[in-house]
Amino acid sequence: MTWLPFIIIIPLFGAFSMPIVSLLKGKAKEIWATIISFATLIVGIEVFREVWSGGTIVYALGSETPFGKADFPIRIVWEVDKFGAIMVLIITFVSFLAILYSLEYMKHDTGLEKYYTLILILELGMLGIAITGDIFNFYVFLEIMSIASYALVAFRHDTWEGIEAGIKYMFVGSLASSFVLLGIALLYGQYGTLTMGYLAVKMSENPTIVAKIALALFLGGLLFKSGAAPVHMWLADAHPAAPSSISAMLSGLVIKIGGIYAIARVVFSIFWPAINPATVGWIIIIFACITLIVGNAMAVVQEDMKRLLAYSSVGQIGYILLGLGIGIVAYGSKVGEIALAGAIYHTVNHALMKALLFLVAGVVLHELGTRNLNELSGLAKTMPKTTFAFLIGAAAIVGMPPLNGFASKWLIYESSALFNPLLGAIAIIGTAFCTAAYVRVLFTFFGRPSEKVMKAKDPGATMLLPIFILVIAIIGMGLFPWQISDKFMVPAAKSLWDIMGYVISLMGGG
Amino acid sequence: MSDMGVIVKTNARALIPLIGIFGCYIVLHGHLTPGGGFQGGATIVGTGLLFLIAFGVDEAKKRINKDLYSALEGVGGLVFLGVAMLGLSVAFFYNVLWHKGPLFNGKPGTLLSAGFLPIMNLGVGLKVFTGLVSAVFALSLFRRWKG
Repeated sequence: MTWLPFIIIIPLFGAFSMPIVSLLKGKAKEIWATIISFATLIVGIEVFREVWSGGTIVYALGSETPFGKADFPIRIVWEVDKFGAIMVLIITFVSFLAILYSLEYMKHDTGLEKYYTLILILELGMLGIAITGDIFNFYVFLEIMSIASYALVAFRHDTWEGIEAGIKYMFVGSLASSFVLLGIALLYGQYGTLTMGYLAVKMSENPTIVAKIALALFLGGLLFKSGAAPVHMWLADAHPAAPSSISAMLSGLVIKIGGIYAIARVVFSIFWPAINPATVGWIIIIFACITLIVGNAMAVVQEDMKRLLAYSSVGQIGYILLGLGIGIVAYGSKVGEIALAGAIYHTVNHALMKALLFLVAGVVLHELGTRNLNELSGLAKTMPKTTFAFLIGAAAIVGMPPLNGFASKWLIYESSALFNPLLGAIAIIGTAFCTAAYVRVLFTFFGRPSEKVMKAKDPGATMLLPIFILVIAIIGMGLFPWQISDKFMVPAAKSLWDIMGYVISLMGGG
Repeated sequence: MSDMGVIVKTNARALIPLIGIFGCYIVLHGHLTPGGGFQGGATIVGTGLLFLIAFGVDEAKKRINKDLYSALEGVGGLVFLGVAMLGLSVAFFYNVLWHKGPLFNGKPGTLLSAGFLPIMNLGVGLKVFTGLVSAVFALSLFRRWKG
């Protein structure tokens, strides 16, 4: 008996029962959402441990095996390998903290039963993407995640920017999702199956041009979801306009699970037999380089705090894509392994630190009512705890050695410099911009207190608790960088590379 | 809000039960004939729309209880999830009612067959009906044309 189905059942139960629970007036819905997301966190930890001790979990819906009387999978299959397990853990962790944070942050808003339903649905969609082994099931969860995030971005519908960002995100996001659906339709028409592992088998027997077109559609749609450079414009509007707890989830989780994880899964577990790794890898690397430079450079010139963080997310996605691209081109070599491990490590680290930074930005917005950096000088005097948390987050994202961002960025620098010195140089330039952006914010925070800042104070305990849990996680992970890398990230990268292993653990039962 | 004339109202009185019964038929026979929870639920929504348009928003405001509809939507989802969990000892979504269960394991083609499918259709139908009615009703109540 595996824990895996409960990772879907519990958030789904929480979301469906939320309208009934919220009939009890008072704090019932907040408490219910916290309980549900905490239970999901427990299940996430158990699933992680299960995968780490017992290897890839294959779970068929509807029966014991994915096979009926056929010799190919006919049922929906959930397949969690080590990379998926890492994503499950980080999603449940950050979502729990975001819900805990919302208790105080969102208390001035109305319609909160919808808010908590949507946030649980968002978590559900992301978890589904992480665990699924069926390409159409993947699309369904991608849409669950996307639609919940459209609604959450526009949640504060009495502000003009919430509506504007929501409309922009929804229109282009639906287009991107429809690319993915079109790709799935082409694949199904060509190969007649929707199971990821079995698609890889069929594709190795008969690689066709249709598969390449489908891959192009997938990459187009998923690069959009990850906020890569030419299509990052929704992100810079959506993150500032959303409530900060949602920004933390969007930036920390949604762009990684719907973008990076999905690209890695689709390229490695489905399309690997049909593609030329160098071509696909270099396409991703080129987008990664543009993303790196554009995102980080745009972050330097922002005056809006959350917009700065949003552009910084775009820049960090560039690093992760760079590691992923090198991991595809240099398949099977040590450099590629380091790059892919670095990309996975940076995904986790960036989820933690960007969640921290957005939660801090939410505190500032909540206490002072402004996100304009020019009005926030001297925040360190009146909000010392908040400023300390921001300092830790900023130092981690730049990659200061005692914190977690260092090791993951180092792996990406090292591998990109070994792979191609030019890419290494581009990565360093990106970091230079990133450093400039965050040093600028810190200088503002430590400056002379302005009128507006003088009457500010640190927020209450339920807002500070998630922030300091994240600070502890960042410092704690920073103390054991290479142990974490060797014990978790490199095996995850290897399991992603192990395409035969993915297929065999699916087909082996039959 | 103005409502429709007497002919439309009278016709609506006659048609609403017919549409509702037909929608229920589609939901109940989801496992036997084309259609199912979503199609049937969307058909039943036709009754709500016809009611709203023919009798006006003020009349609808008296009859449609927001809390009830949103709770029923949750119930629809919970029914679906609960039935999917019945066979959890084998697998999620294992159709235990069909394989072993006391109910709904009749001869294929009869109404009480197909295991948990009829129950799921009912759940989905309830969810679609209440969800769409609440959505349309909320839109019809949306503040006013000009800001």
